[in-house]
Amino acid sequence: MQKEIGQRREIIQTFKSELIRRLNLPYTPDDLHEDVALLGAGLGLDSLDALEIVLCIENSFGIKIPDENIAVLRSINTIVDFVISQQTANKEQQ
Amino acid sequence: MRTSPFHKKFAAHNAVFSERFQTEIVSRVSDPKTEYETVRCAAGITDFSFMQRFRFPEEKGLDFLDSLCAGNVAKLRYGRVLHTFLADENGMIVADCYIANNDEEFILLCESIADDDVVKQLLLSRGAAEAGMVDLSQSHALLGIDGFKAWAVAKELFGADVLGLPYLSIERYEFSGAGVSLFRSGKTSEFGYLLLLEADKSDLVFDACLASAQKNNGGLCGIDIHADLRLEGRFFNVFAEGASVRDPLSLGLQWMIDFNKEQFIGRDAIFARREHGLEKKIIGISAGPDASGFTKGAKIVNGSDDVATIVATCFSYTLNKFIGLALFSIDFAYAGLSFRCGDANGPVVSTISMPPIMPKSLTVKLDDM
Repeated sequence: MQKEIGQRREIIQTFKSELIRRLNLPYTPDDLHEDVALLGAGLGLDSLDALEIVLCIENSFGIKIPDENIAVLRSINTIVDFVISQQTANKEQQ
Repeated sequence: MRTSPFHKKFAAHNAVFSERFQTEIVSRVSDPKTEYETVRCAAGITDFSFMQRFRFPEEKGLDFLDSLCAGNVAKLRYGRVLHTFLADENGMIVADCYIANNDEEFILLCESIADDDVVKQLLLSRGAAEAGMVDLSQSHALLGIDGFKAWAVAKELFGADVLGLPYLSIERYEFSGAGVSLFRSGKTSEFGYLLLLEADKSDLVFDACLASAQKNNGGLCGIDIHADLRLEGRFFNVFAEGASVRDPLSLGLQWMIDFNKEQFIGRDAIFARREHGLEKKIIGISAGPDASGFTKGAKIVNGSDDVATIVATCFSYTLNKFIGLALFSIDFAYAGLSFRCGDANGPVVSTISMPPIMPKSLTVKLDDM
């Protein structure tokens, strides 16, 4: 369990820090609950911010978000799930 | 007890009523699954008149509301709605609030875990009378339209203009002589609208809403199902996890707070807890459809250690399993882990990413219609 927690914690911290920096959000990483809605409700980010989030994921983890996969962008946790699944798939391919 | 302006209308449909904080609520109208599908697939008409509602003139209301609530009212643009909360001096949640900048007035809508009198006294003790507060809780009604087809109902009543309203906005309309302040809001993750209008003109609007909802395979709903819908959409529910936890930081409501504000009720206590760092926070959980003991108040254990307490649950008809929220020790507050409910031999409980469902409303763009 500690290994899973460690992996997830690292991805969360990386993503939150980059998200705050890119979007100039007035929060610390600890202020961002992983389930808070990113677009519309919650943080209330808009479609331009969504593009920044996609770039944030690409630059931080080297993973592309398919255009049609808007479900991934609903919360930090859904993004982290996607990153973990892609990293796992990449490792298996290697 | 404050009764609903829609009591007779809902009673005519055999609604079940109950009382919450000395206010009448319409708990349910039909079975939970029917009401659930009404919202997820069609349009549900719900009585939200239990919410406290107040009006303030713009020039006095701005400073007053900004000094009251955690969010930044001063930055609220005309026609927009701020989702924030009202806390007590200890920085504990009292009410989940919408504040609308509605031209020459501000409107405050509260879902509170306190009686009307307590909320009103809290406002008055902070200078609400001097700020020109008018209590609309008795004089006005509040009707909700929620669902995948809620937009069709709003469009039929108020015109195609409503399709262009962004989430968390307000606009004024007229329907058969009744002035309606329409909030584009909702906490079900489907399309949602709240209609604020004078109680003595509300019957016509109710009838029109219901008729239009029925044309779209919808109907009436009670408030009970909204607790489940909110949980599935991971919208904050002050009556569930809010009432159990009360600390906005553990609840993950930092996004409702402007940490640059110098004044709001409970600010110092909230800032002190933020400085100290979180010891617990709520995260999503799920359990199989046969899980016993998956109820509010149940412990979640890791081996022989208690790591969390369940603070909200529901059965998700979409996922065919139980979902919930639990207040976890911060060291274990991560999605993707497995624990047991009750004791080491209890049913498996998994921590999950929220929201766990993809609502139909996110698959369409109203602007394109």
